[in-house]
Amino acid sequence: MIPRLAIYVAGIAGFFIAPHYLAEYHLFQICLIAATALVVLGLVAVTGLAGQISLAQSAFVGLGGYGSAILATSWGVPLWASIPLTAFAVAFAGFVLGQLTLRISGHYLALATMAFTAIVQLAFIHSDPVTGGAAGMPVPPFRIFGLTLTTGRHLYYVILPATALLFLLVQNVMQSRFGRALTAIRQSETAAEAMGLNVLRYKAMAFAGSGFLGAVGGGLLASLSTYLDPAQFGITQSVYFLAVAVVGGMSSPFGAIIGSAMFILIPDLLQSFQSYLGLVFALLLLGFIVLRPNGLASVRLSRYLNLLSPRPAGGRR
Amino acid sequence: MTDALLHVDNITVRFGGIVALDKVSLDVGRGSIQAVIGPNGAGKSTMLNVITGLYAVDGGAVSFEGERIDGRAPHTIGRLGIARTFQNTELFGEMSAIENVMVGLDRHHPYNLAIGMSHGPGYRRSEIAARREAGDLLALVGVADDAAVAAAALPFGKQRRLELARALATRPKLLLLDEPAAGLRAAEIESLNLILLNLRAEQGLTILLIDHVMALVMAISDRISVLNFGRKIAEGNPDTVRKSPEVIRAYLGEKGAHALGA
Amino acid sequence: MLAQVLVSSVTAGAVYALIALGFVLIHKGTGVVHFGYGDQVMFGAYLVLIGQVVLGLPFWPAVVSALMLSALLGAVIYGGFMWPLRNASLLARIIASLALGTVLREFVRAYMGPNAWPFPFLLSQTAVSVADVLVVPANLAIVGVSLGVLGLLFLLFEKTIYGKAIMAACDNQVGASIVGVRVSTVFLAIWILASVLATLAGILVAPLLTLSPDMGLIGIKGFTAAILGGFNSLPGAVLGGITLGVLEAIAGTYISSALKDMISYSILIVVILVRPQGLLGGLTIRKV
Repeated sequence: MIPRLAIYVAGIAGFFIAPHYLAEYHLFQICLIAATALVVLGLVAVTGLAGQISLAQSAFVGLGGYGSAILATSWGVPLWASIPLTAFAVAFAGFVLGQLTLRISGHYLALATMAFTAIVQLAFIHSDPVTGGAAGMPVPPFRIFGLTLTTGRHLYYVILPATALLFLLVQNVMQSRFGRALTAIRQSETAAEAMGLNVLRYKAMAFAGSGFLGAVGGGLLASLSTYLDPAQFGITQSVYFLAVAVVGGMSSPFGAIIGSAMFILIPDLLQSFQSYLGLVFALLLLGFIVLRPNGLASVRLSRYLNLLSPRPAGGRR
Repeated sequence: MTDALLHVDNITVRFGGIVALDKVSLDVGRGSIQAVIGPNGAGKSTMLNVITGLYAVDGGAVSFEGERIDGRAPHTIGRLGIARTFQNTELFGEMSAIENVMVGLDRHHPYNLAIGMSHGPGYRRSEIAARREAGDLLALVGVADDAAVAAAALPFGKQRRLELARALATRPKLLLLDEPAAGLRAAEIESLNLILLNLRAEQGLTILLIDHVMALVMAISDRISVLNFGRKIAEGNPDTVRKSPEVIRAYLGEKGAHALGA
Repeated sequence: MLAQVLVSSVTAGAVYALIALGFVLIHKGTGVVHFGYGDQVMFGAYLVLIGQVVLGLPFWPAVVSALMLSALLGAVIYGGFMWPLRNASLLARIIASLALGTVLREFVRAYMGPNAWPFPFLLSQTAVSVADVLVVPANLAIVGVSLGVLGLLFLLFEKTIYGKAIMAACDNQVGASIVGVRVSTVFLAIWILASVLATLAGILVAPLLTLSPDMGLIGIKGFTAAILGGFNSLPGAVLGGITLGVLEAIAGTYISSALKDMISYSILIVVILVRPQGLLGGLTIRKV
C-alpha cells in the first residue's frame, strides 16, 4: 500500500516538474514514447494476454490517425473528440476481425491479419479524394479549450495523462476476472470453454481492445507528426510494434513502456547510422526471440513492477 | 427415462470412415455415480466429448434435464451445469492453483467490464468472495497449502485434484470425469473415492466417469456401462458387469481380475 | 482477349507457384511456416546484384555465387535459428521467421538503398505472336522453371530413398530417428534446398517486378497460392499459383486493375476462412 502510493505521488510530481527542466526535443520524445506505448499496449493485450497473434496493429494505428484527421478536417470535429470517437469505431472493426478466431489461429491468423493490414494500407493509398492517396494528408492542429497545441511541450499535457489513464484501466482489467479469463484462454481454450467462458467473445473483445488502443495511439501519433503518410501503415510497421512488444516484455503492460522507450531512444545513439535503424531493430527482435523465446518478458522485473498495481485485500502471494 | 439427469439417446459419431460410436444410449440418474469402461479406443472419451459439445453427433440426441444439448456450444453446456475434467490435464499452467479455480467461480461473483476497468463498487467484494470460495474448494480436494503455486509446478497427483476442484468451481449438477485415477497411487485413489462419495452424499452431485482403474470404478459406481468398438456391450451394477462373459472377454482380463481379487 | 489475359496471367501464376513451392517444401519438410521466405526471394536477387555492382562480377558468375551463398544462408538460418527454436512456442517461431525476413529486408535497404534497381531478364523480352496471342519468351522461362522444379521435387520425394526419408522425418521425428534417419540432417538439407530455390525464384522474378527491398511482399501471394493448393501439397502449390494468377488477372481486367492486389489479399482471407485445407489438402483432427 505505502510503496504504491509513494510511486503514484512521485509519478505525478515528476509529470509536473519535468517540463521545467527538459527541452522541447525531449518532451517531444516523451510524447512519442507514450503514444507508441499505447499502440504496443494494444498488442500486449491481444497477443501477450489473450495469446492471439495479430499483425493488424499498424492498420488500427492508420485507421485511428486517418479517421480522426478526416473527421477533424471534413466535419470539423475537434481532435480531442474525433480521436476517441474513431477509436470506438476501430474497436468495433477489431471486434469483427476477432471473429476470425472462431475458425483460425496461429499461422493462419498471422496471415489473415497481415492480409488485413495490406488491404487497409492499399485502401489508404487508393482513396485519393478522402485520404490524399499515396501522397498522404496533413493533420489539423490539436485544439482544446480554445488552445492550439502544436509542440511537444503542449501536447505533453494531453498525451501523458491520456496514456496514464488508459494504462491504469488496462492494468485494472488484467487483474480482474476478465484478465483471468483471457490468461486462461491463452493457456487452454478447451478447458476455458468447458468452464463456461465464451472463448470467441473474449478473443474478439481482446482484438477490439487492441483496436481501441491502437487507434488512440494512432490519433496521438498523428497529432505529433502532423502528417499522415500511407507508407507508415504497412506490415513492416506491424512487425516493428511486435518487436517493441517482444523486447519490452509481453507479460506486463509496463513492457510496452520499456520497449517503446528503448526503440525511440536508440536512434539517438545511432546518430550517424540512421539508415541502419531498421536493421538494428530487426536484429534486436531476432536476438531477443532466439535468446529468450519463452520468457517473452523478464518475470522478475514484472513481479517488481506489480508493486505498482493495487491488490485486493485478500493478498495474492 | 425422463427423470434421468442426462439422457444419451442412440448417438452415432463418425470420423471420416471410422465409426467411433454406434447407436449408443445411456441414462444417468440424478444423484448417481456411473462409470463407462471399455478397452482403449472403445469410444469412451468420444462420448464425453459429445456430451460436452466438442464433437457433433451424426445421429441421435443428448438431453440434459429434459432439454436437448447436442449441437450447442461447449461454453453454453458448461453454463447449464455440466463440468468435466480432461484426460491430459488441461490446467492453466502458468496460473496459480487458486487462480485456476477462480476462473470457474468468477461467473458466480460477477461484475461488468466498467467495474473491472475502474475497480469500482462491488469489485473488492466480488474478488474476496470468489477467492474465499476458491480456497474452500482447494481445501476440499486437499490442495489448500499450494494455493499460490503455479499449476504446472505441482506434482502430478495434486494436479489431478486441482482439475477436480476446478471442475467443481462452476457449481455443476453433473460432473464428468475423464480417467481421474490414471497415474494415481493406491492411497491417492482411496482418497479420490472418498472425495467423490462425499460430493454425492453432501451435495447430491451426479457423477459420470470414464476409467480403466477398477479400484475406483468398482468401489464407487452404482452402475457401469461397458463400451467396445463404439457399441455398448453390457450394463448393470458392478457385480453384474464383473461377471458378464462379454465384458470379461472384451476387456477385464488379467489386470481387472487381479484388482478385483486384491 | 480472354485468351490473352489468361496467357499473360500464367506468368504471374508461375511466379506465385515457384514461391509457393518453397513455402510448401519448408512446411512439408520441417513443419515450419516461414514468414520470411518472400524476403529470402528478394535477398537472393540482391545477392546477384551485389555480386555485380559491388564485386564487379559478370552476370552468370554472380548468379552462381548467389546460389552458393543462399545455400549457406539456408544452413545458417536452420542452424542458428530454426533448430534452437524447435521446441519453442508457436508465437516465438512465427516471430522468429518474421524477424529473419525483416533483417534481410532492412539490411538490403541500408546497404543498397531503398530505391529500385533494374535487373536483367534471362531470355528475350520481345513478345512473339503464337496463334494470335502474344507470348514473351522470358515469361515462358518462368513457367518452364516452375514446372521443372516441381518435376524435380516430385521425383525427389516420390522416387528416391532420400525423399522418402525426408517425408518420414517430417511425419514422425521419433520414429524416423529410430529407423536411422538423422532428422537434423534432413531438415538442414530442406532449408538449404528451399533457400537455393528462393534465389532462383528471385532471379526470375526480379526483372518482372523490379528489384527493391519491399519486393519480398510477394511472399504473401506465394502464401495464398500455397494455401489454395493445400498447404502440404507440392503439386497443389503449382495449381494454387496458377489459379491465383488467373483469378488476379481476371479480377484485374474485369473489375479493376488498381484494386488487383486488394482482391488477392481478400482471396487469402476468404480461403483461410472457408477452406483452409485448400483445393487439394486434407483436414487434420486434434484429439482432446
